[in-house]
Amino acid sequence: MLVNDVVCPFCGCLCDDLELEVEADRVVRVLNGCSLAEATFMNDTRLPAPIRRTSTAWEKISYDEAIKETADILKDADRPLLYGWSSTHGDTQSVGVHIAELIGAVIDNTSTVCHGPSILAIQEVGHPGCTLGQVKNRADVIIYWGCNPIEAHPRHMSRYTTFATGFFVPDAQRERTIIVVDTRRNDSGGIADEFVQIEPGGDYAVLSALRALVRGKESVIPKKVAGISKEQLIRIAGICKNAKFGAIFFGLGLTMSRGKYKNVRNAIELTDELNRHTKFVISPMRGHGNVYGSNEVFTWMTGYPFAVDFARGIAFYNPGETTAVDILRRGECDAALIVASDPGANFPRVAAAHLAKIPTVLIDPHVNATTSLSRIHIPCTAAGIDAAGTAYRMDGVPIRLKKVIERGYPDDAEILKKIYDCLNGWMIP
Amino acid sequence: MRVILESKVRKKPTIPIEAESIIPRNFLKGTDLMVYEGNKERTLSELFWIFVEGTAVSPENIEVVLKGDASRIKRVGEYMDTGSILITGDIGMHCGNFMSGGTIEILGNADAWLGREMRGGMILCRGNAGHYCATGYRGEKKGMQGGKVEVLGNAGDFCAEYLAGGEVHVHGSTGDFPGVEMRGGRLTIGRDATRPCANMKDGTCVVLGNVHEMIPTFEKIDRRVLPEWKIIADVYKGDVANRGKGTLMVKIPGAA
Amino acid sequence: MTELLVKNACVIDPIQGINGEIMDIAIRDGRIVESVSDRAEVIDAQRCLTLPGGIDSHTHVCGTKVNFGRYMSPEDMRAGRTQRRGRMHVTSGYYVPTTFGNSYRYSAMGYTTLLEGAMAPLEARHTHEEFTATPHQDMLANTLFDGNWAVMDAVREKNIKKTAAIVGWTLNAIKGYAIKLTNPGGTEAWGWGEDLTSIHDQVPHFEVTPAEIITAMIQANELLKLPHSVHLHCNNLGKPGNYQTTLDTFELVPDLNPDRQTLYATHVQFHAYGGRTWRNICSKAEEITRSVNSKPQIVMDMGQIMFCRTMTMTADGPMEFNLHCLHHNKWSNHDVELETGSGIIPVTYSKKSAVNCIMWAIGLELALLTKSPWQCLLETDNPNGAPFVKYPEVIGLLMSKRYRDEECATLHPDTEGNTSLCALEREMDWHDIAVMTRAGQAKALGIINQGKGHLGTGAEADIAIYPIRTDSVDPAREYRKVVEGFQKTRYTIKRGRVVSQDGEIIVDGANATFWANAKIPEDIRVDNDPEFIRRFQEFYTVRMSNYPVQEIYLPRGRRVDTEAFT
Repeated sequence: MLVNDVVCPFCGCLCDDLELEVEADRVVRVLNGCSLAEATFMNDTRLPAPIRRTSTAWEKISYDEAIKETADILKDADRPLLYGWSSTHGDTQSVGVHIAELIGAVIDNTSTVCHGPSILAIQEVGHPGCTLGQVKNRADVIIYWGCNPIEAHPRHMSRYTTFATGFFVPDAQRERTIIVVDTRRNDSGGIADEFVQIEPGGDYAVLSALRALVRGKESVIPKKVAGISKEQLIRIAGICKNAKFGAIFFGLGLTMSRGKYKNVRNAIELTDELNRHTKFVISPMRGHGNVYGSNEVFTWMTGYPFAVDFARGIAFYNPGETTAVDILRRGECDAALIVASDPGANFPRVAAAHLAKIPTVLIDPHVNATTSLSRIHIPCTAAGIDAAGTAYRMDGVPIRLKKVIERGYPDDAEILKKIYDCLNGWMIP
Repeated sequence: MRVILESKVRKKPTIPIEAESIIPRNFLKGTDLMVYEGNKERTLSELFWIFVEGTAVSPENIEVVLKGDASRIKRVGEYMDTGSILITGDIGMHCGNFMSGGTIEILGNADAWLGREMRGGMILCRGNAGHYCATGYRGEKKGMQGGKVEVLGNAGDFCAEYLAGGEVHVHGSTGDFPGVEMRGGRLTIGRDATRPCANMKDGTCVVLGNVHEMIPTFEKIDRRVLPEWKIIADVYKGDVANRGKGTLMVKIPGAA
Repeated sequence: MTELLVKNACVIDPIQGINGEIMDIAIRDGRIVESVSDRAEVIDAQRCLTLPGGIDSHTHVCGTKVNFGRYMSPEDMRAGRTQRRGRMHVTSGYYVPTTFGNSYRYSAMGYTTLLEGAMAPLEARHTHEEFTATPHQDMLANTLFDGNWAVMDAVREKNIKKTAAIVGWTLNAIKGYAIKLTNPGGTEAWGWGEDLTSIHDQVPHFEVTPAEIITAMIQANELLKLPHSVHLHCNNLGKPGNYQTTLDTFELVPDLNPDRQTLYATHVQFHAYGGRTWRNICSKAEEITRSVNSKPQIVMDMGQIMFCRTMTMTADGPMEFNLHCLHHNKWSNHDVELETGSGIIPVTYSKKSAVNCIMWAIGLELALLTKSPWQCLLETDNPNGAPFVKYPEVIGLLMSKRYRDEECATLHPDTEGNTSLCALEREMDWHDIAVMTRAGQAKALGIINQGKGHLGTGAEADIAIYPIRTDSVDPAREYRKVVEGFQKTRYTIKRGRVVSQDGEIIVDGANATFWANAKIPEDIRVDNDPEFIRRFQEFYTVRMSNYPVQEIYLPRGRRVDTEAFT
């Protein structure tokens, strides 16, 4: 059977034009998708049933048992941590927040290790952005800063920027100027009209210099800034000011390099300054398929996009203190529930190591590096494959993920609702 | 009156304690205060041995002494307006949040957000201070607005971020971005600083050691003798990236 | 079957023509009935003021832009935090509270129905998700068409039927309730960083003017027989001298509908400025209200500002950028492809600012100078003018000249010379307030037939009982009692259940969402039009099949069908 207009749940692009060939309970062919999409749908090997660690091995347990034990672990914890949420749909995220509120937990999502700094920057200066279609239809200048879309968001260029036909940009390849800024030349740099190679850690200085140049303060700028000649900086500032519609996309090269959120803030303030001359927008290249959805759901429910601490009954937020990596690094939490993510692979070693010291439960369709740190692993549906639900694209556009096959697993939202019910039963006599 | 709180040994010593109730004024009515250990509410006496010496009729005569391991205790001295707190070892995050009067002395190191959003009073940290020393809260336009924070050791990154008033003096070095987004007040750094005063709008910063990675958008306007420090310094205006009118003064190496 | 009897209620129900009668209200299964059995639960209203549930016909509480306001404002979140308590979830925020915060606070004030002022169709799913998380109010969504490419094309072609067909298809697809135009044409110009300065400027590339868009959309709206009229945020919001644009716009509006207005002009305070610069801005409320008083086809709402820190958020992207250049605070902007824009910045309205004081006075002048309270409804464009929790203060100001005078004495000295507020003697009565906070909204939104805004037999049992005895309170003198009374109901009843009592939420709540299902003749349906489909697939970044909001997003969707046109 062929299924049309399928949404790929893998990355923040949420391409919704895939065509899948489905046979019974598996996807046999992926059309229109990138290699990451193909792997997402085709290499979907699941953990068959819930498992629990014994002193020497793993044992299979029932869902009911796994749910009951998870609730038990969370109930007794003095500082439970609920982490992950970015590779599942909104209902699951919403139940997660309710659990956190009920038991006084810290709940955090994977923004902590990707665009958390972008959020901090936005909280300082705001975010001049737009939906991706604005860029596709209008932008004549595109800047990729500290990101490599060809590898991480393979269809970003063909759907939204460099190669995308836009209403006001019918001949995209000729009419768009592409600038790539990075510390080393990557694949994306190869197709740039202007490649800007910054010394590692020099992003902030370069952004400050560009802001000053856009403001006409040429005389202040030294001959070279972070390895870039003043001539090139002046040229770039000129391209930006003369754009009809410019768009900056940035990635972890900006958010996770030295200075972190100050780099992003500086890029946003450059965008702000450019808006006094022309139209400019800026957008983070969000990684996980629905990480932006976790920010949205957390925000309307708690007021904060990530790193929310309910220990005191109210919602408290202070990244650096209430962020998962920091809590783990300091060894604060005494129990953890990980949902739809893999901190075992993505966290610094000392943070991940703490997960192994405390009772950790993983709810995720697949065996991953976190499995080996966990006491219990409960498999579930994968949003966008065998479960439907809402995901938010990197630009905030909400898209409904489709259920394309049935594999007989329970939805992670259902599992969490049962955990919530257990906890609620114990807490409210 | 002196109230001595000595932290007890805990079963889970890494669970943070939030103890904003530990301010001198609160001990006027006794020691029957509540604190939080993780998500559990505890009485002060569950977590501390409490000794009270003498009496006091007004809070300015109350000294609170925190002994033992206080490195996981957060928010001590929050909203403190008078009296004094002495911490004999290290202290956890957010010590002296919103403080408006009185003094806090820390003999050891202070964790992050020391004196966050401080309005008045004095904090003396004899050891090192963590990141975000004397700063503000996420999203707010103003950080510390008044009072004085003095750190005899070093301070971490983002020291005095959004400083809007009052005085911050770090005798040692600071990490990355001291005085970033500064809009008032005075920041003095005794030794080295990396990328000081980025994006500053107003206020004054003096660096008596070396500056690493000077932000390129500061305009050198003068070279001047600073009698207070007995040095010659280059004087910069900035940050030009944002129409800033701040002053950054950096000692000329070797000159004295 | 559940039954409830509210006894001894002092009822004001303008739609039913009831003004202060002491009566009983019988409720069965969520609706008002003639009588109930003696097994019914009884609430004794003790002769307190009892009104149909409050309706806000223009507020920003759910959706992309509102959530972004929260997202960027941790400093506001800590301003209004409450713990989980009984049935109540944790809440955060003062001017952009969490969905539960909005819902509980509205409920405590007796509000049971809200119209979200601006929903971009492409992001409608988000708005509906937040509707579901706003459990104590029935919701409706204004749907943005101000920069809709297909609409502008049809308007340029002077094809009203096609315009209507596009609107109808869109509302149906994304489960919207009404047409919203925010700075029509201006939001498209803002796609290039530009704006329009009059209703006769051409939209770049599209070769239509705001006047043409407004006129065509009014006709399309009436052709579709939509329950609400076109809901307009005029061009030039917040600019000195903009009253002329507003008056010019009002002149465009014919009287086409006997049951309600033909144009709903929102937050008119922001559109009633004289002068040329911020230095010589003055009130033109008299000119605006003179126009409205002679045009029954227009209903407006106040857009009152109150002195506080708050957040401005609107689809009017260029206006927000201009404001940002004045305030130098944080600024967010979010343009939506082929549809609209939006912007957000925090502001503080201060009595030290002459401009702010004049704005404050203009809102009140508009209400006091509009002869019929049905034509000037009470709101603050929440949170743009002030968070909605300030409504009781606005009510107090309208009911008490003394309160106004006391406030005026604390304002910037330039206020008096630039407004006429101090000279206005009018004091509104309880009936006026009932019109301006529910009956007028129900009529304007076209939801009287849905059982909203009145307490007649068959109506939805949405009722607010305030701790106010109208026979013993003199609002002119005791305005503090009025303000306090409207801040917290004794009981808020939603669909026959007490949901809030003395400000405490006592049930989980389960709201409904009203949406308009316009019937469109087969031959002009745009989803059969290959050119419409081609342009959609080519220029949107989502597939047309993934655009509609599935019914699962409206767990209690209430479809309002319209009659077909030919």
